[in-house]
Amino acid sequence: MPLDTSTYSLALLRIDGRRWNDLRRLHAQIHTQDAADGSSYLEMGHTKVMCVVTGPAEPQAGQKKGTVGSAQATGQKEGASIVVNVVVAGFSSVDRKRRGRNDRRIQEMEITIQKALAANLHTHLFPHSTITVSLHVLSQDGSLLAALINATTLAVIDAGIPMTDYITACTAGSTSSYAAGDDAADPLLDLNTQEEQELPYLTVGTLGDSDKVAVLVCESRVQVSRLEGMLVVGVDGCKQVRRLLDGIVKQKGRKMIKEGAVRRSDMMAVSLDD
Amino acid sequence: MPREAEPSLSERTFTLQAISEGLRLDSRKLDQFRPLELSFGDEYGVADVKLGKTRVLAKVSAEVTVPFSDRPFDGIFQITSELGPMVAPSFEVNRPTETEILLARLLEKTIRRSGALDTESLCLIAGQKCWSVRVDLHILSADGNLIDSSCLAVVAALRHFRRPDTSIEGETLTIYTAAEREPVPLSWLHSPFCTTFDFFGEDGEIVLVDTTWLEEQLRVGSVTFSLNKHGEICQISKLGGKPVEATLIIQCAQMALAKSKEFTDLVDARLAEDAKRRDKGGLMAELSAENER
Amino acid sequence: MANQQTLLSPAELAYLHSSLSLSPPIRPDGRTAKQFRPLTAETGILPGTNGSARVCLADGTEAIVGVKAEIEKTVDPLGGEHYQEYVKSASGAGGGDAEEDKRGARGEWLEMTVEIPGLRDDDAGTVFLAELLREALLADGEFAKKLWINRRFHWRLYLDIILISPPLSYPLPLLSLTTHLALLSTRLPRLKSEGDEDPMFDDDWEASPFLYPRQGAAAGSRPPITLLVVAVGDSILFDPSKEELAVADSALAVSLCEVRTQKGDESMEVDSGRELRLVSMRTVDPPSRLTPPGVPSTGNFAASGTFDPSSQKKQQQQQQRVEEYPQEGVWKAPLGGTRFAVLDSIIRAVLEKGGVADEVLDGLEGVDLS
Repeated sequence: MPLDTSTYSLALLRIDGRRWNDLRRLHAQIHTQDAADGSSYLEMGHTKVMCVVTGPAEPQAGQKKGTVGSAQATGQKEGASIVVNVVVAGFSSVDRKRRGRNDRRIQEMEITIQKALAANLHTHLFPHSTITVSLHVLSQDGSLLAALINATTLAVIDAGIPMTDYITACTAGSTSSYAAGDDAADPLLDLNTQEEQELPYLTVGTLGDSDKVAVLVCESRVQVSRLEGMLVVGVDGCKQVRRLLDGIVKQKGRKMIKEGAVRRSDMMAVSLDD
Repeated sequence: MPREAEPSLSERTFTLQAISEGLRLDSRKLDQFRPLELSFGDEYGVADVKLGKTRVLAKVSAEVTVPFSDRPFDGIFQITSELGPMVAPSFEVNRPTETEILLARLLEKTIRRSGALDTESLCLIAGQKCWSVRVDLHILSADGNLIDSSCLAVVAALRHFRRPDTSIEGETLTIYTAAEREPVPLSWLHSPFCTTFDFFGEDGEIVLVDTTWLEEQLRVGSVTFSLNKHGEICQISKLGGKPVEATLIIQCAQMALAKSKEFTDLVDARLAEDAKRRDKGGLMAELSAENER
Repeated sequence: MANQQTLLSPAELAYLHSSLSLSPPIRPDGRTAKQFRPLTAETGILPGTNGSARVCLADGTEAIVGVKAEIEKTVDPLGGEHYQEYVKSASGAGGGDAEEDKRGARGEWLEMTVEIPGLRDDDAGTVFLAELLREALLADGEFAKKLWINRRFHWRLYLDIILISPPLSYPLPLLSLTTHLALLSTRLPRLKSEGDEDPMFDDDWEASPFLYPRQGAAAGSRPPITLLVVAVGDSILFDPSKEELAVADSALAVSLCEVRTQKGDESMEVDSGRELRLVSMRTVDPPSRLTPPGVPSTGNFAASGTFDPSSQKKQQQQQQRVEEYPQEGVWKAPLGGTRFAVLDSIIRAVLEKGGVADEVLDGLEGVDLS
């Protein structure tokens, strides 16, 4: 184990100097792109993703039906269908690795994001239309799915598509994987790649300020008794992320009012909320 | 592209109303599985799982090949599954649907990535010869809960499987036929089982297990846990869907653990029965002891 | 280019076409024929890459290019044994001439991928785009030589081009400009080892040289840029917008690169002695060919309301005539190839001193390379 867990128990500091419940620097921008209906750029530590939302728009004929890998909303003819595309850039990881679009891991992420959105967006307001979400991974350093979900939420807000609440996500891990009775194991928040490789972790996505879990993905072996601790820390992390994202959205709103991009009636709503 | 028939509005309303009152169409309790039948074929490594009208067949085969150059000490282990038009007209060959992708990913995570099979034990001569174990999963009939039944079938088939015995003398590798030497079981480390919970109701507060196809169409979300009997989670996936309370997830994890123990006992019992059935000579009696895990 | 059909009616197309064919042409956004739209660009945005760049065009399209380099063992195409001998004899002769050895550099050391959202990566359009860009880059044979380390090792360069925005117009110029900037900002670690030993590199990133040496002692070619030029009637338009592309008679992708020559002391004068070279040129199938033709009002029964079954035959003939002879003000998709004179004038306009290419290169030079 290159990650020396013994040092952690001594100083209670992680390899990048964070404490167990510290998030990495989260930086985000919305409306980064003029041509799209909604767009965002999000950094969680060194994980950098961009999201572009197009739509709700008329479905392009012949484009979607045959596309393998783009997750298609089924069984909801009345509402808008959501198509999610994740492109992982070849230069995003330390060693260049080319991932085809038919990579199952990426397809799974696409389906996850698509289903999380489908349950949260008010798609019934846009019948017979398509919302296309394109995600670009520019740099990855852990918590990839979480970053993708957060970026999607911001871009969908920017696109002005009605939704119940923010879906925010982050990862939570545990300092020890085995030995059920090991009480010394601490949960950790927001893991980077190095920690993800060494420790069991899960990605959790919650709805708004509630404890409701929209997405929960765990791919590593971990004792079932650890789950609760990790989940609690993860849900708490999601709330922190939500506060940060909310701040970003409000800041952007204020800026738009100053620039006169928003009409007066809209202005009232925002300043009330503030 | 053919589409799956959707349940009609009245069917939908009726079923959901019944579920919200705690009733299921087949008069099961909400947390009750359908009768599960597990049988083994005449050959080693064939497992047939029947769960209500869902039927899944897993077949294991092994051959000697050259290992991948980047991992010379590991054997090759792969699980292939295909949902063909035989299951439902909406499945097409060579066009993986969402169900198929998720099923393949889930089996991969549950069995392969969790290290249930010791792939290092499949290595014969480092960098030159190794066993390639392949599980072919055939879905014969689908009536909901494909994930749990497929996972059970794959695990049971792999534990039932015997590969030909080998010996290495110097540089020569000898593979013995079943007549020469008794085939040996795979080096199996732990048996993970999937349990899927489906959520119903306005806030996803009603939990069902082992849903039929109809119920599956109407669910608002689902979560799949993979655990072994030691209480180790191998994988959790709640891929979107309606958000549910975190406490409910924890409860589900505990239920999944109990279910996983049940599955373990079932597979152990069936394997023991099968071993007894095959026990013609004295040699098999010894081998059957290995199955008692 | 099939996915970017413009939803313009034949009448709109005809109007656009005729106003663009005027002299001087009247463009929908009021630009002159040779004017580029403003763009924003930045480089060095991704610390995890050897070089990166991001460019946003005025129409909102945006691209990101990342360059990654890996060391790879050179495999001799003629087989191992021969190669060993070759190395021996070369080293016996006092290391040989490096320039000579560099001739072994090959274009396949550069790998290029283009990702366009919503399109498969093996889509014909995407592959064509990647090949266009690759061709321009490798055309002069100088580029691969930069990847040469020694006789046994070379750099393998991965260029990943991602279009972030939906493909609104033909993204070729955008991708090419982004690639140009990314390559200019690309740095490779400084080589510490000598000769044919296993390469050793300096850890200090600050000391790493740029793939394309910076100004000053800059001699040799610079990365190419590819411009899209369209001809509408007799006018030649640079940086066509989506609508202009939809009525283009012909579209041409022209790649050129700047070659800097070592100048003497007298070059202290302000004269920017930039020498432009045409690297490659390809015709691009303009989407205008797929547009539906207009119907002249004489042939429009619905409008005139004088449909008479007896005169159907006559009208059919008329219809045929309409298809054969273009009528003033009625849109008809362009057919056939491009006249040579048009090609000639396009190339002249591109390579003209102080012309469009100069303007673009000046603009790109202003981008701060970090």
